[in-house]
Amino acid sequence: METDSLIALNTLNHGRCRTWPFLQDFCLTCGICAGSCPASGVDGFDPRKLLRMIALGMEDVAVSARWPWICTMCGKCANVCPMDIDIPGLVRRIRSLRDREKVPGITHKGLQAALETGNNLRLPKDDYVFILEDVGEEIAQEPGFEGFSVPIDKKGARILTTIHNKLVNTHTEDLKHWWKIFHAAGEDWTVPSENWEGTNWGYFTGDDAAMKIMTGRIAENMERLEIDTLLWPE
Amino acid sequence: MAEKRVLVIGSGVAGLSAALDLAAAGVEVDVVEQYEFAGGQGIRLSCKATETCVKCGACMAGDRLGRALKHPRIRLMTGSSIEATDRNGRFAFQIRRKPEFIDPSKCNACGICYKQCPAEGAIIQGTSGHHRPFFAISEKVCLYLKDKSCTACRDSCPMSAINLDAMKQTELTQADAVIVAAGFSTYRPYEKPYGYGVFPNVVTNQELEAILKRHGRVLRPSDHTEPGRIAFIQCVGSRDTKLGHLWCSTYCCGSALRLARLIGHRQPQIQTTLFYIDIQTFGRTIESYYKETKEKIRMIRSIPGDIYPSENKGLKMTYLDPMTADTLQEDFDLIVLSVAMMPPAGLEGILKMFHLDRIADGFLSLSEDTARQGIFAAGAVTGPMPLAEAAASGSKAAWQSICYLKTA
Repeated sequence: METDSLIALNTLNHGRCRTWPFLQDFCLTCGICAGSCPASGVDGFDPRKLLRMIALGMEDVAVSARWPWICTMCGKCANVCPMDIDIPGLVRRIRSLRDREKVPGITHKGLQAALETGNNLRLPKDDYVFILEDVGEEIAQEPGFEGFSVPIDKKGARILTTIHNKLVNTHTEDLKHWWKIFHAAGEDWTVPSENWEGTNWGYFTGDDAAMKIMTGRIAENMERLEIDTLLWPE
Repeated sequence: MAEKRVLVIGSGVAGLSAALDLAAAGVEVDVVEQYEFAGGQGIRLSCKATETCVKCGACMAGDRLGRALKHPRIRLMTGSSIEATDRNGRFAFQIRRKPEFIDPSKCNACGICYKQCPAEGAIIQGTSGHHRPFFAISEKVCLYLKDKSCTACRDSCPMSAINLDAMKQTELTQADAVIVAAGFSTYRPYEKPYGYGVFPNVVTNQELEAILKRHGRVLRPSDHTEPGRIAFIQCVGSRDTKLGHLWCSTYCCGSALRLARLIGHRQPQIQTTLFYIDIQTFGRTIESYYKETKEKIRMIRSIPGDIYPSENKGLKMTYLDPMTADTLQEDFDLIVLSVAMMPPAGLEGILKMFHLDRIADGFLSLSEDTARQGIFAAGAVTGPMPLAEAAASGSKAAWQSICYLKTA
């Protein structure tokens, strides 16, 4: 987290970040953000220092640093900040300035997969439907849930739900809780067969365009199935 | 100044300082105090001196109250509020005085009423030897005043000083000028992430003052044991744009450092840590205690983020250690929040009465125009300030009033 080159304040591009023109100038460096952050201390991460880097014009250092990617974007810092500084917003903007190929971990790859196939896993439609129906059959074997089946693409249902990719990957058991509650409550619900991905990793990578596409697809599903209530658990 | 009269609203350090200076110049003064006891919030503070005085100002309220009570030109009306006002040349006031349930000439401050009363908060205790009677009856809580179901205090009073059927009184008075010294309120830090109101051992600095005043030393509210480790957190509710409090409250660095010094002197086994942003050196007296205190307590330049309960009503606090860049969890037995000064509750009524405005922060705004009408202000109602400044501000308002009375 050190740089040898001199930082020129006039290189800071205020226009690049909505929150950059002045908000970080309000920072009192009180440190309540760092004191409440669940990720602070990981690899020396300190939201107070990250904010200070931006205030000092160290934009390039911040963009290439690992710190902005340690943040979980939980928003606790902004919640306690007495000066109302949108720290997760700042982190997201810093992330957005990084070359997409250098976005760490699986987030950018998962997002690319989602843009191309409708879900982060590149899970084909047939496999996805098979998994849903398989879980549905398991539920139907439990006492009190006889006759249960998964309503896929049900036109005119009251609620449309999205699916987190892990629920059709490693955590299929977790699908059952929702569905059983729906069943017991007599809810009229459905899941889409395509573009069902509920996560929106453009949020985490700072990719506004991708985020818009992912959100738009959910809206399209609602229009196609003539549903006006969305349950988006992510 | 013969036959000139000034009405002072508020009997704290600022109001009493103004009243004494006016009276010394020959002006008649009425001091209206809404609370049952005079002396403002300053009179509830405890002296921070050890073998040396650290000029905390806690004695100022008592000193001024003692002198005001003896002064023939000062009339002090506690439990009083202005019901109506008019101006036709002079100001005319109608003042509502709460019933005098306890006769000050009979009460000997024995405290039997306080001990006998079954309704908590119905009998309020004074905080100064100048408070006579030393007890007052709360109209809101007293069972007799609610449904005549209890007369324990009256029956047990050995001096027959209590009359539960006393009636409220209305006084009419006139004045040539007015000084608004309505004081301040303190921030109740419920929305801060410190569990205030949930964990009994998280207190405000005012509550710590009350503990010190009552017991002479620090005891934990939960079990009245001596804490081993105390933390002060500064700037709670001050310099806070979310709350609309952009101001530094100016009194709290001095207050916390003096409290820490006093605790270290009286209870040297207690370890005190001060969590702060920066030390604000308002006033001229900080050198008398800052250097010494800084060496004796632990000072960490970071505001903690969370407090969790631990065993035995202890508190686990997380903060970023700025020296190591590590997030630490540390146990404390008592946590003191240095809370903000805010405009006083009930300021709205005064604003309407005298056609006054607030400044952007919400404190009282005064101008040359209001001064021309004979309306002046003193103390923290004009903005946060420490006690010494409030006293000086009271004297200044008295001087302004005298200048006005000479020309009016």
